[in-house]
Amino acid sequence: MTLERFTLAASVAAALSLGAGAALAESAADRAVEAAKQFAGEEITIVWEAGLQSLDPLNYSGPKWEELTGIKVKVIEVPTAEMFTKILQEHRAGTGAYDALNVVPTWMADLARAGALEPLDPYVDKYGYREELQTIAPTYRDNQMTVDGKIYGFPDDGDLFILYYRKDIFEDPENQAEFKAKFGYDLAPPATWEQYAEIGDFITSKFAPDVYGAGQFRQPAYGQLLFQERFRVEGGKFFDPETMKATINNEIGVKVFDGMKSDNKFMPPGVETWGFVEALSSFLAGEIAMTISWPPFGRWAAGYGVDEEALSWVPKSTIAGKVGYALPPGGTPQLALGFSLAVSSSSKNKEAAYLFIQWLNSEDTSIARVQLPYALRDPFREAHFTNEVYLSRWPDAKHYLETLRAGADSGLLDLSLLQIDRYEEALRQSMTRLWAGEDSQTILNDVAAQWDAITERIGVEKQREAYLDWASKPNAYPKN
Amino acid sequence: MTAAASGERTGGAPRYGTAADRQFKYLIIAPAVFILLFIGLFPLIYSLVVSLQNITMLDEDTSFHGLIHYEQLFRDARLWEAIWHTVIITAIALPLELLLGLAMAYLFVERLPGRPIFVALLVLPTMIAPVVAGATWRLLFDNRYGPINQVLGWIAGEPVPILWVIKSEFVYPAILIAEVWQWTPFMFLLLWAALSNVDKSQMEAAEIDGASFTRVFHKIVLPAIWPVMAIALLIRGLDLFRIFDVVWALTKGGPGTMTETISIYTYVQGFRQFETSYTAAIAFLVIVLLSVVVIFALKRMELTR
Repeated sequence: MTLERFTLAASVAAALSLGAGAALAESAADRAVEAAKQFAGEEITIVWEAGLQSLDPLNYSGPKWEELTGIKVKVIEVPTAEMFTKILQEHRAGTGAYDALNVVPTWMADLARAGALEPLDPYVDKYGYREELQTIAPTYRDNQMTVDGKIYGFPDDGDLFILYYRKDIFEDPENQAEFKAKFGYDLAPPATWEQYAEIGDFITSKFAPDVYGAGQFRQPAYGQLLFQERFRVEGGKFFDPETMKATINNEIGVKVFDGMKSDNKFMPPGVETWGFVEALSSFLAGEIAMTISWPPFGRWAAGYGVDEEALSWVPKSTIAGKVGYALPPGGTPQLALGFSLAVSSSSKNKEAAYLFIQWLNSEDTSIARVQLPYALRDPFREAHFTNEVYLSRWPDAKHYLETLRAGADSGLLDLSLLQIDRYEEALRQSMTRLWAGEDSQTILNDVAAQWDAITERIGVEKQREAYLDWASKPNAYPKN
Repeated sequence: MTAAASGERTGGAPRYGTAADRQFKYLIIAPAVFILLFIGLFPLIYSLVVSLQNITMLDEDTSFHGLIHYEQLFRDARLWEAIWHTVIITAIALPLELLLGLAMAYLFVERLPGRPIFVALLVLPTMIAPVVAGATWRLLFDNRYGPINQVLGWIAGEPVPILWVIKSEFVYPAILIAEVWQWTPFMFLLLWAALSNVDKSQMEAAEIDGASFTRVFHKIVLPAIWPVMAIALLIRGLDLFRIFDVVWALTKGGPGTMTETISIYTYVQGFRQFETSYTAAIAFLVIVLLSVVVIFALKRMELTR
């Protein structure tokens, strides 16, 4: 009898250990799916950037999640410029209209401090996701996940600005010889902004109006990101860390503004109005030899996925096979915007919302999502950069992914402070004044005065603390 | 005492009935008045309370701040610039819309072949949502694909690369063109209706007596259409003071804050900067300014007589 009992107990213990082992061997995606089945039949809402971005949950991840768990996903599309406002308004009104959220990482501090975001650590531990979070590329993981040491979002989009250039023009022996004779160095992707201007000017002088040296974002929202990058590459610091006085109007700021304005001369006429679509269509049409933009440019220029119906608006690439990828001048690209997945603190279904974002963000699911040609989600996990399928998507995909990986390491964080949008708004306005033809020093003096007034209003010490915290991160300023 | 009082009461019954009758009409309309006051005044009073607090959407603090925001209004240079931009747009667009609307009304007051079709086409812009009109004009002004630069290029015989919504010298003309295009038909419709009711026999008699067109217009037509014209000016003037959509769609208030109107500034403060209390103070300032303007205008137009 005793032996029988012992045998039974041993068998049960062995079975339980095996079960636990199997459970531990499950992926984070599987765990999320299993746990979420208890919410089958319910509906969760998720805020997603309107447009192509939201085709991911609408066409792919939403239906798949419903198929796996029985939970419906309602996608609330919101233009990027309004996402912060909508999230905050719903939170203040306490409607519980949103369950899961996409947030730009620089907003996380403001949203978390306003109480709009749910701290995720308890869920991460409950559903065993902490280990898999470590395989997110360090720059995103260490800078776009936590506020005051607590996890509020999962970095889910490896945004950064990459330089795309026309290999056929750069590698043409005649162009190379002419360029070297004129400037004394090889025609290659520019390592500095001075080289960028010289190369741009050289190509425009030789090929315009068929091909211009470069074409660049100039709309304020994007232009200010390019300014942030170039200002730091040239050695600029945004604030004096002692006094928190803005130093954006120093000689470096003026040099960058003057440089940006002067670069327009070798760009197509009317470049001052350019946003994402204008730069994309010009590059794909072969009208510009260089552009700096987000990763989808590189995929679409290579012709990847552009036969998809959702991408029917993207002009057919005339330069597939001729596109080179490089880090922008200075080698430290702006980690421009990006998205983290979060849970709304006013959600009435936080558990289901959390499980959905864990599943979305997990290695298993995200590997497919970053390869959706239409969804604009870019590689952000170590495994994404080395995925065999992705590497074989087009002939130069390896070079593309290597460049993204290098950029993810050296990339510069967007400036993040308390009430950052106020500072950005001043910068956005300054861009429009720059293109209107005003003097760089005057504009930047005004921006500095506005920044100082905002800092005063928020509280110098409070903001100084936030700035020092941001500035202490390895990717706040270039390392050298 | 009680009996006397009671007798008095009995004796005074008809008087009691009269008093009740007098009060009864107020009693009947009281709920309606209360609801109207509640709907009309509650938001105002609530806004006033909010403007005296320190509410921002980024902070839990809602402490009483007194008149600090009102004091801030007078030091806020950007606010007064926004008011000035609004006044400029109103001062240019309103007379333009009036003159063009009047000219069109004169043209169509006579029976022309195809008049109903032309009128229907002319009023189309007013049926379009202002933000859509703004977005459409942004496309029309596009330096690369927009037809305006192309047409100007054909006339000039060389490419005309005007950056309508970027360069400071063109942004106001662009806004005014879009605004006048959309709202002149409104002015036209009202003035057309007013002109149609002017006594033709008086005009004919004046013309027979040798009165010039200007004299006929000044002495006969204008007095006849003035009440309608005044109302049209008032409606459009108030609308122009609140102008938002077209400017937002075309320039978002730029370059810098060069075309920022009071509505755009209020929106930016309230929904981009989340300064809820300060926005309420701005709203109050605008209410006061508009009330003064409207009272003055009504007095000048002699519409209150």
